[in-house]
Formats: sequence, structure tokens, C-alpha cells
Amino acid sequence: MPNLKELKNRISSVKSTRKITSAMKMVAASKLRRAQELAESSRVYADSLSFILSSLAGNTKNSADLPEILTGRENSKISLLIINSSDRGLCGGFNSNLFRNAKKWISDQHGQGKSVKIMTVGKKASSFYKKTDLDIVASFEDLNSNDRQLQVSEEIKIKIMELFENNEIDEVSILFNKFVSAISQEPKYQSLIPLSNDETSEDESESNNAIFEFEPDKNELLEYLVPRNFLTQIYRSVLESSASEHAARMTSMDNATRNAGDMIDRLTLTYNRTRQAFITKELIEIISGAEAV
Amino acid sequence: MINLKVVSPQKVIFEKEVEMAVLPGAEGDFAAMPNHSPFISSLRPGQMAIMSSNKVDESFFVSGGLVMLKEKVCEVLVDQIEPLSDVNSSNYQQSKTYQELEGNETALGTFEQVVNNPPYK
Repeated sequence: MPNLKELKNRISSVKSTRKITSAMKMVAASKLRRAQELAESSRVYADSLSFILSSLAGNTKNSADLPEILTGRENSKISLLIINSSDRGLCGGFNSNLFRNAKKWISDQHGQGKSVKIMTVGKKASSFYKKTDLDIVASFEDLNSNDRQLQVSEEIKIKIMELFENNEIDEVSILFNKFVSAISQEPKYQSLIPLSNDETSEDESESNNAIFEFEPDKNELLEYLVPRNFLTQIYRSVLESSASEHAARMTSMDNATRNAGDMIDRLTLTYNRTRQAFITKELIEIISGAEAV
Repeated sequence: MINLKVVSPQKVIFEKEVEMAVLPGAEGDFAAMPNHSPFISSLRPGQMAIMSSNKVDESFFVSGGLVMLKEKVCEVLVDQIEPLSDVNSSNYQQSKTYQELEGNETALGTFEQVVNNPPYK
């Protein structure tokens, strides 16, 4: 027969766990709203910028005229993957999904005869990849405020431009959890070098209609635009990832709260039954004792 | 009227119909008006002025950025922007824009100049 006191302790500990998880859920929900707003409001700038970039690049007939940093190098040998994880855990499959995906991507790259370097964002990725034998070029942690997110994006941009110029990397991709909805996030790759067109393809028809004049000339504009574009794309992925993190935490904490509730119900039932059995047993003992006298 | 849309990396700052906007292009100031030929330019630090019937309605300092001009749309992607109605020669050094531009002497110099004596008044 289970011990009554033990059961009681168990119930109260599950109850306090439930309090924690439901508080975390509420915090995540309110943070999610902010993160989502940020992600959405930064989209306008990013879209306009990639539109300008694509009309600028599309305007140049010969792609050989474009700088390497836009088109990528031929025979690229070394790829850099930027992995956007979270700083904290308790967010369901958010990080593990990402790492599983990255592993597949890395073995794909190896299959194509390329070597892979890693840049990690968030504590979870840096502690995970420290244990592997992959080459980590930089790690960024503590992205806990919007200013910090912008600052980290800036640092990443500087780092990748420097690595690219020193021929230490030939390609750059960024991996993050794309925010689809509050209950669904999916890992997504975006290529920074070479510049991917999938984001801008819908604007293509529009950009062909208007032939822009450029001032100053294209090369000078590109010099300004390319780093700006990196920064915006990185910043955007950081924001998406943070919205996804809060969403993932919210759903997983919601599940945890519900599970804790179920567990409390079950334990309370066992507790009551045990107590009942205990009383019955005592009564029987008293009655049979009285009869014996 | 032309639709002027001012956007920073974080958010849309404002969007409205204006008669004319004067912008500090990299190679000289230019006015954005309806039916301007399609045009993309980068911006140097300077004053952005929204004008109607030859008067400045609103005035801003921009630290740099890009502008894309189409038939009836003028999209300005700014790095930093500060409404000149919010700053004067005594408090502009406390503004967020000033702090963000720390170390960029030319931009700061232009900021001071625009605050004290804007080219369009």
C-alpha cells in the first residue's frame, strides 16, 4: 500500500511544477507577441531592400560584372553555416530539430566534397557543437534584447565579410526556425552567399517593368547594399528564430501544464483511495478487536 | 501627391501622401514628386524635408540610407532618423540618433549643422 505522506508530498510537488510551467507559458505568450510584432515590422525593410538589390542585379546583364560576394565563387570548397538556436531550454523540440537538420545538411555538404564551418548563435548551439569535431568560427550568446539582437547581427555580418575576403569561406547559409504559426515552426535554410532569389522571385515581374536609374553608379551602390542586405537578412533570421522560440516554449509549456494537471488528478485519486482503504482497515481492526474481547 | 514611406530596419516609421519630399541624395539633393522617372539612390547624412506649396511642413535628419522612387511611390530606407521638431541646438546631443552615430564624425557634423541651420526652412 502506498504511503499516504509520500503521496501528499508528490501531489504538492507536481502542483508547484504546474505553477511554474503555467507561469512560463504565460511569459512566453507575452514575449511571443512582442517578438512577432518585431519580426513582422522588420519585414518591410527587408523586402524593399531585397527588391532594390534584385533590380540592381537584374539590371546588370552580365553576371560576371557582379562582385563575387553576390554570385559566390566557382568551385566553392568551404561552406559556412550559421545556426540560430535559443539561449535557454524548455522549448520542446526547438533546438534538437534544428541540430538534426543541420547534421543532415553537413553530411550533404561533405558528400559534395565541401568542408563545413559553423557559426553558432545562442547558448544551446554553442554547447552542443563544442562537443563535436566541427570547426566553430564564432559563437554568439545572450540575445536577450532587441538592441542586442541587432548588435549580434552586425557582428555576424562583419565576421562573414572578413572571412569571405580572406578566402576562408566560399559560401554562407543561415539556418533558423521559421515562424509559421504559434503552433508550428520549421527549420529553414537561407543562402547569403551566393544570394538566393527565392524571396524576391515574386517581385521579378514588377522589377522588369520599371527600369531604374541609379545614383551613384551601380558598383558604389552595391558596395553599400551588399553589407546592408547581409545585416538585414541575418537580423531577420534572428528575429524569426526568437519568435519561433517563444512559440515553441509556449506550446511545450502548455502541454506540460496539461500533463501536470492530469498527473495531479491521478495522484489525488490514488491518495483518496488509499486514505479510504486505510480507514476501512482501521475500522476492521477495531471491530475485530472488540469482538475478540 | 506621392506616397512617401519611411522605413527603418526595425519598423515602418510613417507612410503618408505628400506633395513633395526633398531628400539628400549621395550626389546632391533631389525632390521626389509624382511621375519622377524610376530612380534608386543612396543617401548621405542630411535633411529630409516634406514640402507643400514651397513651404517645409516637416523636417527630419537622416543619417544615410537608400531611396527608391517609382511613379507614385517614394520608399526611403533610413539607417537613423530624427524629427527636427524634437531636437534643438541644446538637446540634440542627447538624442538616440546622436548616440548611434558616435564615432562617425562627418555624420555628426552634418547633424549639428542640420539642427542649427537646416538648408530647407
